[in-house]
Formats: sequence, C-alpha cells, structure tokens
Amino acid sequence: MAAQKRTGAARAGWTALAWLVGIVFFFPVLWMVLTSFKQERDAYTTTPHIVFTPTLDQYKAVFSGGIGTAVANSAIATIFSTLLVLVLAIPAAYALSIRPIKRYRDGLFFFISTKMLPIVAAIVPIFLAVRNLGAMDNIWTMVVLYAAMNLPIAVWMLRSFFLEVPRETLEAARLDGAGVRQELTEVMLPVVAPGVAATALICVIFSWNEFFFALNLTATRAATVPFFLVGFITSEGLYWAQLSAAATLASLPVLLAGWIAQKQLVRGLSMGAIK
Amino acid sequence: MAEITYENATRHFPGGTIPAVDALDLQIAEGEFMVLVGPSGSGKTTALRMLAGLEDIDDGRIMIGGKDVSGVAPRDRDIAMVFQNYALYPNKTVGENIGFALKMHGVERSERDRRVKEAAALLDIEGLLDRKPKQLSGGQRQRVAMGRAIVREPSAFLMDEPLSNLDAKLRVATRAQIAELQRRLGVTTVYVTHDQVEAMTMGDRVALLKDGKLQQCASPQELYDRPANTFIAGFIGSPPMNLLPAGHQDGKLTIGDAHVEVPEAHRSEVGRLDNVTLGVRPEHLRLAEEGMAGTVSLVEELGAEIHLHVRTKPADGEEVDVVLRTDRHARYRLGETVHLDIPSEHILAFHPESTELLFAPQA
Amino acid sequence: MTAIAERPTASAAGRPPTSDRREGWRRRGPLMPALIFTIIVTQVPFLLTLFYSFQSWNLLRPGSFHFVGLSNYVAVVKDAEFRNALWITVLTTLGAAIIALVLGTMLALLLERQVLGRGVIRTLLISPFLVMPAAAGLLWKTTMFDPVYGLVNWVLTPFGVHNVDFVGQFPLASVMTVMVWRWTPFMMLIMLAGLQAQPTDVIEAARVDGARPFAIFREVTLPYLRPYMELGLLLGAIYIVGTFDEIYIMTQGGPGTATTNLPYYLYQRTFQGYDIGQAASLGVATVILTFIVASVALRTVFRLFTETEGR
Repeated sequence: MAAQKRTGAARAGWTALAWLVGIVFFFPVLWMVLTSFKQERDAYTTTPHIVFTPTLDQYKAVFSGGIGTAVANSAIATIFSTLLVLVLAIPAAYALSIRPIKRYRDGLFFFISTKMLPIVAAIVPIFLAVRNLGAMDNIWTMVVLYAAMNLPIAVWMLRSFFLEVPRETLEAARLDGAGVRQELTEVMLPVVAPGVAATALICVIFSWNEFFFALNLTATRAATVPFFLVGFITSEGLYWAQLSAAATLASLPVLLAGWIAQKQLVRGLSMGAIK
Repeated sequence: MAEITYENATRHFPGGTIPAVDALDLQIAEGEFMVLVGPSGSGKTTALRMLAGLEDIDDGRIMIGGKDVSGVAPRDRDIAMVFQNYALYPNKTVGENIGFALKMHGVERSERDRRVKEAAALLDIEGLLDRKPKQLSGGQRQRVAMGRAIVREPSAFLMDEPLSNLDAKLRVATRAQIAELQRRLGVTTVYVTHDQVEAMTMGDRVALLKDGKLQQCASPQELYDRPANTFIAGFIGSPPMNLLPAGHQDGKLTIGDAHVEVPEAHRSEVGRLDNVTLGVRPEHLRLAEEGMAGTVSLVEELGAEIHLHVRTKPADGEEVDVVLRTDRHARYRLGETVHLDIPSEHILAFHPESTELLFAPQA
Repeated sequence: MTAIAERPTASAAGRPPTSDRREGWRRRGPLMPALIFTIIVTQVPFLLTLFYSFQSWNLLRPGSFHFVGLSNYVAVVKDAEFRNALWITVLTTLGAAIIALVLGTMLALLLERQVLGRGVIRTLLISPFLVMPAAAGLLWKTTMFDPVYGLVNWVLTPFGVHNVDFVGQFPLASVMTVMVWRWTPFMMLIMLAGLQAQPTDVIEAARVDGARPFAIFREVTLPYLRPYMELGLLLGAIYIVGTFDEIYIMTQGGPGTATTNLPYYLYQRTFQGYDIGQAASLGVATVILTFIVASVALRTVFRLFTETEGR
C-alpha cells in the first residue's frame, strides 16, 4: 500500500536525522574518551587521528599525578553529603506532603527561594566563617555545604514522590494504628524507594560536579576532582591526551549515574514539577 | 451522506498477529444509524478508528461512498468524529473549537462564523461560544464535541461512546437528542457503545462484536427475538435471557424435574440432539403451581415490577440462577420454594456446543 | 491531580487547644532539622553578607574593619565593571537559555517520534548535561576550539575557515556555545516530558478535522507546550545565571572583561581583591536584582508548577 511505503521512508528519514543529531551532540564526549587512549602525538595533531594504537599510559600518568586522592575526596563529599541530605529531606518532604503543616506552601516557597539565590550571596561570609573555624581544606566542610546546596531540590523532589502514594493506603495504615514513624518506614518508604534512589542520584550528580566551592575552599588535602582538573588549564597545556583521561575519569561516575536515573532526571531538574 | 462498507477488514494488535478486528464484513446504508456494540476488548472502537483512518487496515478494505479509503488520511475521508473524552482543544474557545475544521479546510471567516452559529443553535450552546472548555460542564463539553462534528456536514458521523462520561440522567436525555438530531440531519452514523440499552434504543441496526468478530448485525428487534447465539442472547436485554441446559428426547425437553414440549414447527431443527441449551426471556416465565422447582434467592424491587431470582437445578450438580419479571404487588420470601412454568411457545433453543440458534418463536 | 493528602483541622469543636498545638508541633517536627540546617548554612551567611556590606574591610589590610554606611553600594552603582558584568550576565543567560530552549524543543519533537533506538539516542543527548562542567570547558577550549589543533577548525576548513582562535577572538560566542551545548539537553528533557504528557485524542481530533502536521503543531501542540516552555526557560535561567565553571576554565573572564559575568566578577573581588566590604555589597546587589526578577519568576514558576502537576 502506497501509504505504508511512504511512512516507511519517512520513518527512515527521521531515524537517520535523530541519530545524526545524537551523534553530533555526543561527539565531544566521544572524542574525549577516544583521546584519553591516545599517545600525545596522536592527540595533539592538526588533523584528527581516528586510527591509532591505544594505550593506557595517560590513565597511568593521571593516577600517578594524584587523581586518586581527588577521586577519594569527591567520593566522600558526594556520598556523605547525599546521605545527610536524605536524612534531612525525607522528614521535611513528609511534613510538606503527607501530614502537612499548616503553612506548607510557605515552607516550599522558602526552600525554593534558597535555590534561586545564587551562591554568590553567601560565599563571602561562608568563606570567612570557614576560614575562621579553621575548616578550610576540609572535606567535611564540603559535605555540609553540598548538603545545603542540594537540600531544596531533594525536598521538592521527594515531596513529589510522596504525593504519589495513594491516599487510601495511608488512611488504611492510620486506621490500623500506625504512628508517624511507622507510616514513614512501613508504608511510605517501600513505595517511594525508587524515588528516593532517584533523588540520591540527582544529588550525586550535582555534588560530584560542583566546582565553585571546591575551588575556593579547598587546597591540597581536600581537593576534589574538579579542582584537580584546574591544574590542566595552564601548566599541562600540551598534554591533551592526559587531560582527556582526567576529564573522562572525572565525568564517568556522573555519566553513568545520569544514564541510570535518566527518567528521573527531569523530575530532579524541575524540582519535582514535571513527572 | 455516504454508504460505508467493511470488506473483510482486519487489524492486528500492535506488534503481533492476534487480530483486534477479525475479518469484519459490514454494510451500512446511506443515512443509516449503525451501532457497534460489545463488551470491552470486542474490537468495536478499533473498527471505528479504522473507519476514521486513525488505525491502519492490515487486511481487507473499507469503502466510504464507494471509494476504497485504505491509506487515505483522516482529513481526506470527509468524516467527523466525536471522541469519548471529547478531545476539545483546551486553548481555544468553544466557537474556535467548532470552527476549527472549517478553518483547516480554508473556509472564509464570515461563512465559518455563520455555520458555527447554526451548529451552536442546533445544540443550544449559543451562549457558550466565547468560553473555554475548562469552564464548561461535562454535558456542555459533550455538546461542543457534537457541534464540532455536525458543523462540517460530513459524509458520515463517527461516535466513540460519547455518552459514557455523562451521569445517568443526562445520558438518557442526551441519547434522545442525538437520535433526533441524526434523524433530522440524515447523516450516516456509526456509533460505538458498550451499553446495550443505548444500542437498542438508538440504532436502525446493531452490529454486535465479540473478540473482534461480528456476531450478528440486525435490527434491534431481530437481535432481541432471534439472537444468533447464546452470547448475543445473554448480552441483549436486561435482565438477560435465561439459558438452561436441557435434555432432549422425541420433541420433549427435560429440565430438572420439569418438561417442556418443543413446538411442532421446530422439531426438525432440533433433530436428534440429546441436549440443547434452552433460552427463555424473563418476561415469559411464570410462577405456577407446578413446573420446574426452585428457591427464591434474591428479590429486586424496581418500583414498577419485581425481578425475582430463583435458584434452580436443571441437571445433577448444576445450579442456574433464573430471573423472572413479575408483578410488583406480589410478596416473596427468600428461600421460599416456587415452581416455574416455562411456556413452550416462548422458548428458544441453542446448540449445546456451537451455541448457535436452533430455533426461536415465530414473530 | 494529586492533592495534599490531608489538611490539618483547625480547632474542631470539643478539641482542647493544647492537643491541637501539640499536633501542630508533631507535624512541624520532621521539617525542623532541614529548616534549621538550611537557615544556618544559607540565611545566616546572607545576613552576615548584609552586615559586611555596610563595612569597609580589606583582608589584606588587617584592622581596616569599620562602618561606612552605604558608600559600598554607591561604589557599586558607579562601578562600570559591575554594570559590564551585569550586562554580560543578562546577555549570556537569556541568549543561552533561549537558544537552548529552541534547540531542545526541536530535539524533543524529533525524539518523540517512533524512531528506532530512541532510548539510546536520548542517552547520548543528555550526556552534555552530565559531563562535569569544568571538564566540558577544558575539552572545548582545547580539543575543540584550539586555533591549530582543534576539531572545530578542522571541520570548518572546507568552508574556508583557517586557524581561528575562537576563544580569543570570539570569547562570548565560545563560552555561550559550551553553555548551549550543556543546557540543550535540560530543555529537551522538559519539553519531552510535556510532549509525552499530551493527550493523544486531541491530536487525533485535529487530524480528523483536517489539520496537516504543521497546523497540528502550531494550533494544538505549541499552545499545550507553553507552560513547559515557560518553566524550562525560567528554571533554566535560574541555573544559568550562576554559570562560573566554564568561564573560569575557558577565559578567566577575559579577554579583559569580555566574559566576566556577575558570579565571576564577585569571585574576582572576593578571592583576588580580598575586599570584603565591596564584595559583600556586590553580593547583596546581586541578590536584590535576582530577588526582583525571581519574585516575578517565582510567581510564574509556582503557577506553572501547579499547572503542570497532574498533567
């Protein structure tokens, strides 16, 4: 039938276009990964080398250059700040959704407003406070700051997941005599567990990639991965392959986290507004 | 106005070979009101969507006005559709909603406005032309959806369960309005519903579908009096026809401890079968001094009449609930033993395995 | 539409007031830790910023701490560099947000079709957003934009482009390219969510009514997507305003002040100038500006939140 042939060709056309666009957008990332396996002479060329003998030298160099410590620091900051966020945000989201406080709208407003005010407003006293407390270059400082940074998003996101629990389930639990804590642990958490995981992944993404605080409040001991990358701006000007290896390592965890939590990414980014 | 023909039309479920609509053969005359009825999953909506061009035709073909429309886009088929959830354009006013199709076909502004007003007047929604759908009640939205269809003066109306989202009372009133409207406009209409009352009251003819296959297509009365199989018999009519297993020997049917004669004229149709399925409508059963025994299991008082549910034992080990319609003045007790008279002149018989109709009372 | 599960009852007849208050606190309880934490880590510092903004204090000159009233703010208003930073911020934010939105919408429309391997393509398309911004800046500056060895130059050679120093000659465009590259996936995801939430029967009604694909897009889809576009733009702008990583890595605000936006300018004043009083007043000024824009935006965003919730 003519119509079906038409749609078949049209579909192929759209498919080709979609793949083309996808590859173009992804290309810099792909190039980054490819380059990380090259020798410098294959990377620093006027015409791009697509065929080359791969090597792990760059990764070895990057690790001996100290990325290991940076990764460890980033991991600590990310994991612990995320845990802290969950511990604070779950009850808060509960208070704003299931058994809401009287002025829950104000509560929500407050949280979203802290996200809207740029960090710049608080960096001066935070910097001073951290310095005066002797907490500079301390990974736990970063844990606290990252937690504060991600808390609003987490509260909003978790709230949107909590609202999806069917009202009847909660009412049945209440009739059966469940108190607040049981409601939370026995009824809600099992149902919203995937949502909690998604929120955690979003926090991981933002914590791991965070640059500004890391730049200004850490030095040698607590340096996180973004900070480590800074070293490549000036001094390692000609070490592109090594730079790519570092960049790949830096981006890998979040790329994976994002690919896994893809469906929840919108929710996190729009702070729970869009499912 | 156009005639519509389904010729062996088949549509598979997406990604498979199981048919949603299986070799449907149906002919709808010009100006006819045809109802497609059946339980969920019967394929009636799919069949309608195939006619609209919203579903592909995998096999066979569909003709509108004598032309094969396979592969033709919906907008070129000269049909209008009323959707189950109305599908109104939320950002447009009622007037813009109704006039949208005309705008798409390049009709001039003044002509468009005139026809929109006409359609709105016909449906009594003239005052709502400047409102948006979210400001309307369910019944009003339904009428806007209808207005959108009739303003186009198409060859055929397609309606997908347009009344199912209305409350019961509104449904009855709107039902009458739609039927009257169709009679007045005389446009060929294909109407899908799962409600057999709607089918019976509105259709010139009714096509009953089950599992994608056409069971029977006939006038409502014919469907009621001569259902082609037990499924149809049990679907049409409320309360449904009573179906009982009966033994047969020499023109005599045995149900439990009762006997019913097969009418002379129909003996040959029954032939030499040992068993048949006997059918009798609730309004034809009578309580009597003698007859099939049973116990009253439920009494439904409807005001004008009573539906009496009687538990019977037509054969060893089987229990069948039978319903009869009786006088509202009578009094019954649960568990009371009663006797049912099954009048021979009102019985139908179906083949016990194929479930097809063997005979039914003459008109 | 998900509604709040339950609203607290105001003193119902026969309920002793103390039990009501206790219930109130029981409900507030879970919120407290998060609330207190946030206040301590964000609000208190802000109040301190306010305080410092009225002082003159340079960390490099110990003992210079003294009250100067509004003179810091006066200096800010007179500061040409501040106005420049403001202008750059507005330009890059609006520019990147709008371009990303247009591109993102187009991508979402593309992805919405039944294209083979849709999931994989989507995974590829969200990657720019996930890559560490600092890494992205580094990569684009070197492997992409380098005048001699960069890919962009190589790709554009057939078009007569030779050894262009993108970052040096077109700093704003270069930075904005990376910003758009990063934020298009964000817009795409939001628009995709909107497209997928669209009721199909309205589209079908439009098809039956005779609308061709482009007319359907213009008359049905676009109006439906408007709240999503607004949300994407607003939310995106809020995130993009704080862009720092790419500028730091790629241009260090330069050449000169060509790419110095407000966050970067503040960084310079704080961590390079060590002028606390000035930096604080800058911070407050930024907050005031953001607040004005945000309260307009906030109302719209809030409305959009409730409009898209339950769609």
